[in-house]
Amino acid sequence: MFKEFAKGLSITFKHLLPGHSTTVQYPTVKLKPSERFRGLHRLVPSQDREKCVACYLCPTVCPAKCITVESAENEKGEKYPKVYKIDMLRCIFCGYCVEACPVEAIEMTAEYELANYNREDFEFTKQRLLK
Amino acid sequence: MVNLTIDGKQISVSKAATIYEAAQEAGIHIPVLCYAKKLLPYGACRVCLVEIEQMKGRLIPSCTTPVSEGMVVTTTSEEIKKVRKTVMEFLLVNHVLDCPVCDKGGECDLQDLAYELDSTSNRFEGEKFDLPTDEVNPLIERNMNRCVLCGKCVRVCDEIVGYGSYSFINRGFETKIATAYDRGLNCEFCGQCLSMCPVGALLPRPFKFKARPWQLKEVDSVCGYCGNGCTVTLGVLGDRVETIRFNDKIGVNDGNLCIRGRFGYSYVNDQERLTKPLVRKDGVLVETDWDEALQVVSDGLLKAQGGQGVGFLSGARLTNEEFYLLKQFAKTVGTENVDHSGGECYKGVTEGLKQTLGVAASTATFPQIDKADVILAIRSDFYETHPVVGMVVNQAIRRNDAKLLIVADKKGKLNKLPGAKTLLSKPGLELDVLNAMAKVILDEGLAQTEGVEGVAEFQASLANFTPEKVAARSGVDAEALQAAARQLASAKQGVVLLAYGLPYQGLNKELATAAANLAILTGIPGREGGGLYLCGEKSNSQGAIDLGILPQNGGLGAQAMLAGASNGKLDALYVVSEDPLSSYPDRDKVAQALEKVPFLVVQDIFLSPTAQLADVVLPAVSFAEKDGTFTNAERRIQRVRPGIPSPGEARSDGAIFSALAGKLGNNLSFTSAAAIFTEIGKDVPAYAAIGFNELGAHGKVWGGETLSPASRKLVAVGGGTTVEGEFQLVVGSALYHSGTVSTKAKGPLAVLSEAYAELGREDAKDLNVAEGDLLKISGNGAEIKLKAKVDNRLPKGVVFVPYHFADAEVNRLYKGEPAVSVKISK
Repeated sequence: MFKEFAKGLSITFKHLLPGHSTTVQYPTVKLKPSERFRGLHRLVPSQDREKCVACYLCPTVCPAKCITVESAENEKGEKYPKVYKIDMLRCIFCGYCVEACPVEAIEMTAEYELANYNREDFEFTKQRLLK
Repeated sequence: MVNLTIDGKQISVSKAATIYEAAQEAGIHIPVLCYAKKLLPYGACRVCLVEIEQMKGRLIPSCTTPVSEGMVVTTTSEEIKKVRKTVMEFLLVNHVLDCPVCDKGGECDLQDLAYELDSTSNRFEGEKFDLPTDEVNPLIERNMNRCVLCGKCVRVCDEIVGYGSYSFINRGFETKIATAYDRGLNCEFCGQCLSMCPVGALLPRPFKFKARPWQLKEVDSVCGYCGNGCTVTLGVLGDRVETIRFNDKIGVNDGNLCIRGRFGYSYVNDQERLTKPLVRKDGVLVETDWDEALQVVSDGLLKAQGGQGVGFLSGARLTNEEFYLLKQFAKTVGTENVDHSGGECYKGVTEGLKQTLGVAASTATFPQIDKADVILAIRSDFYETHPVVGMVVNQAIRRNDAKLLIVADKKGKLNKLPGAKTLLSKPGLELDVLNAMAKVILDEGLAQTEGVEGVAEFQASLANFTPEKVAARSGVDAEALQAAARQLASAKQGVVLLAYGLPYQGLNKELATAAANLAILTGIPGREGGGLYLCGEKSNSQGAIDLGILPQNGGLGAQAMLAGASNGKLDALYVVSEDPLSSYPDRDKVAQALEKVPFLVVQDIFLSPTAQLADVVLPAVSFAEKDGTFTNAERRIQRVRPGIPSPGEARSDGAIFSALAGKLGNNLSFTSAAAIFTEIGKDVPAYAAIGFNELGAHGKVWGGETLSPASRKLVAVGGGTTVEGEFQLVVGSALYHSGTVSTKAKGPLAVLSEAYAELGREDAKDLNVAEGDLLKISGNGAEIKLKAKVDNRLPKGVVFVPYHFADAEVNRLYKGEPAVSVKISK
């Protein structure tokens, strides 16, 4: 029995040694999230505009109702989102918007540092989302 | 009745039904694309294929196959599903899949069908069309790349509207829907086609990219324009009416609308709407709050009532409940001077019909027109004033072989309907033609005189109206007149149509009386099927009459009020929902009255020319913000429901009357429109039998579907008179507009933006006038300038001018007569 105790504790002590820690010194050290991580949204640009065609599927599917879209017609007669906003305080990062998008115009990035001081700063407009 | 089995279910249906209709009745779903309830079976899409036991070996389209006794139908099986899926694949070979940007997405029949049949791939490959879209016209966007060739637009335009804009052109894969010579669309713009389109090939342009269908709140209400009382389903997004949704489930119109109903909604969202009360201070109208405005109004009215008195001039677009409150408010003020719509134009109903039939309303309902065998339309303008009733007339002709007779001074849409016989008379002499028809019927012994009073006197009065004499005077062919009279007399289900409104004041009472005489002689009023229809121009013209917004107990009528205001016999005028300066005949008289009257209150939604002269302007609300009822021209009481909040501080007319009456010591406060409606029942017996909450999907008709006349009395009316002179000017309604308010709506304005003077080709040639030339028209001591419009609608010597546009000042020429003698020069 004593032998087992020693065996177990040796694993514990081994982890106390340098180089075996899983925590990192955030913010000086940052972890790379997995590829499937659902962080801040990004609107995908195409050549001269956003890829989004304002089909309204993302605000429709969004369970948190955090996406606001207003469509309009541009000079070429195309449908485009005049307004595209995500209220990040409401967003639950479920990724349904990405799944619903028929033109792959919205994706989720690895960006997870979303804390801020003002309520307004959580409103991500089209310009911010296109970055 | 025929018995058949569908999916093992025993069903018994009428022998005229198709398999599809039988299945629908039994609650069995069969997918369709090209089927529409109101159109004739067509069988273009082949989606509704079913299997019939007796016809094994091939599948049968259920929407075109009539039922037969003992039929055994299977609507779903593996094979049927496979075939339907293949049909879908064919349909999707050329159809562009731009659902994300297509406004139909979400209510697209093809999309739903693809989902239902689980069509995820296509075995066939074909070129997607890349045809240019028609964006020339302002209202209907045509994108033929999305078309599935179901032919619904072609059929509705032909079968229902009777215009025939579209047809299939080319063959095979190249087939497409096009207009004549494949030009841009130039039609009535009623938008029936886009309401029928199962895909996004035809879409309302004003609604382009505005919203998705599922975002819209749908509110069923009644159109605020004409007296037809069509159901409009407002598509509301936020606090704006963004579109009018298709709805054939409720109402009298079967989903049919005209340009005004479908595209004329934008004025309710207009930025220029009044949002605060205005009071004149130091000669300028300034914004103020309600407390001050109401105080100024009540002080002014009290002072005037202590002096020479107050007059109330109302429009005919208030709800019944508001009319009731107006009446009570007038009583509170202590005046009997209450009238509406210029006071003259409705006299055909209140006096013409009253003295002959003893009722003041149309005697039957619109659906009965559909089954009529002979229809007499007096004045061709009926289609222009009431387009959706005109569509019913078209269906009666096309589906049930009804014969259409027209007595008019000009041609119009109705004359183009198949088999229409027109008795084209000189302006003002339609009355003589009607009298002559009555004479023919009496002289030839075709009249139904049982129980009819005054036959002998009437017959004696007609001595001067032999067909020959009338033919000589009016220019109508005597034989055609006789034939028309005989045809009307032979009608089993006859219909007589006449519209009234502000531009149709001349001889209105006489025409209505003559029409009633004719109807009585041919046994029309009170008989099941068909009737005599006198249809008001505004959405609640009939309600205004029912609720007695008329000069009663010695009160002054509209014209007397205006005269009184000019010569100091009236100290205040209260104008509600009306723009007399723009729309009443004799502008100078109206202007003088409005300027001279010491105290003028105007209650309206826009700062109209009349409102600009007012001492106090109170902001009212549009039909889309009101709760209550309208009574349409067939006596149908229907619910009006609020769809959007009122802009700023605007209040409903009813709320304003209540508040003012409260200031004057009469607490006119009611909990709801329903409570007021119950009160109305105490004053108007016909309304007492109807419960506000029982109005339901199709409203309730007071007096029953067929109103029995209280009397059948023939009343002699003299003939009309023509005016001398080279040109006779007649005013009237243009198809695209209704009253003056539609000139604030973008849809109708996009098609017709200004007044015009319409001439026949012959006259245009004589005057050397081309379309668009500026004409000087002088007569009645005034001159106006209008652009010329040339077509073949008008006989020689007749000029037509629509009355809707305030800035054209047409009413400087038009003073209420049937025709004005004018001179025209370039």
